Amino acid sequence: MSTATLSASDSDAEPRIDYLFLGAAMVATAILVALVLLDGQPASAALILGGFALGVAFLKAEFSYTASWRRFLTRGEAGGLIGGLIVIAICALAVVPVAALWPGFGGAVAPLGPSLVIGAFVFGIGMQLANGCGSGTLYTVGGGSGRMLITLAFFVIGSVFGSLSLPSLLALGGVDPVLASDYLGPWGGLVATLASIALAAVIMATVAKNRGANFMPSRTYIIGGIVIGVLCIAVFFAGGHPWSVTFGYTVWGGKIFAALGFDFSQAEFWQWPGPKRALTGSVLSDTSSLTDFGMIFGAMAAAAATNRYAANAWPPFKSLLAAAIGGLLCGWGARIGFGCNIGAFIGGVASGSLHGWIWFLAALPGCMIGIRLRPAFGLSRD
Amino acid sequence: MRKTYMAVVLLALVAIVGNHLTSPSSGRAVSPEDFAGACAPCGAPCPSKK
Repeated sequence: MSTATLSASDSDAEPRIDYLFLGAAMVATAILVALVLLDGQPASAALILGGFALGVAFLKAEFSYTASWRRFLTRGEAGGLIGGLIVIAICALAVVPVAALWPGFGGAVAPLGPSLVIGAFVFGIGMQLANGCGSGTLYTVGGGSGRMLITLAFFVIGSVFGSLSLPSLLALGGVDPVLASDYLGPWGGLVATLASIALAAVIMATVAKNRGANFMPSRTYIIGGIVIGVLCIAVFFAGGHPWSVTFGYTVWGGKIFAALGFDFSQAEFWQWPGPKRALTGSVLSDTSSLTDFGMIFGAMAAAAATNRYAANAWPPFKSLLAAAIGGLLCGWGARIGFGCNIGAFIGGVASGSLHGWIWFLAALPGCMIGIRLRPAFGLSRD
Repeated sequence: MRKTYMAVVLLALVAIVGNHLTSPSSGRAVSPEDFAGACAPCGAPCPSKK
């Protein structure tokens, strides 16, 4: 996000409760929870509530992966990214061993190949133009940023385009997922995963020191990282897989396009069992959608509990254009690259899957390009 | 922007509830990874299986 966007709006207003939007967020969440409980699905209710808590945590900590990447690349500041690694390390403590030992649970894995690299690279460009990644878009939309409503709409559209492109990109080749626990066992895999996270933190801190920049996460980021990491574990136990965001966007887009008359019967992606079921089934049967809805309403409740909600004017046209282009690129890239910062990077690394680190390395140059493009849309490079 | 937001929230809620009530929702919520042959969070097959 748009940490800057929220901070600016927050500082202008007297602290007050916006009962209208606080009530709307609570009632909407209650309705969704009631619907899944009526279907006898307590795990689904837990996913909605887990998403709600994540929305509150992200908004309150202003936890922004997009801004963290940008601060690292432009100023060398590594505190934000290292705060992100805290989330991954905590999540890995549960995901690696449980996914390996406990039937019914699985990690976030993905094939290694051109699709992963191209998708992550394009996503990196998009997230800097959009000013938010998958989770950032959710909590800033929930937080009352009109600009990010545009990002979300185009993220969804781009995600559907990505679903149509993915099979042909997978046909370019690749290798099966590489999972640390497959080679080293559950505990050896956990040690290797934590060691890789520690190594990344050391490299980031070294880069920061060499550039004379700070590498210590702020107190807010440390607390936020711990809380978000614990919530990631809760979502993992409720859903059976690590938290993911962007498949929900693809499902929403697929359903909207289908309602508009688009025929997916010839689209290979939508014939795979998972997407096919998601397209025809209830949106509340998709784990990503459940946490996504919860996160939006959680951020909305947190924002409305402290300020007049969505009180800012719309940003300039060029900024909205960047939001739209960034959203499209994020959506396409996330689908091609098997997720966003959450599903691919956090979920992948926390599962001990090599694709998480490849995604990170491929997104890095994309971010650099995205940062260079920002001034053309009236956005700062910082 | 507040009016836009309220309209979007109401529209989204009606769409979610409408979709839920008119679509099959048997069993627990699933991810594409839960299906046999899935090799990625979106349900893509493994390269070795193609």
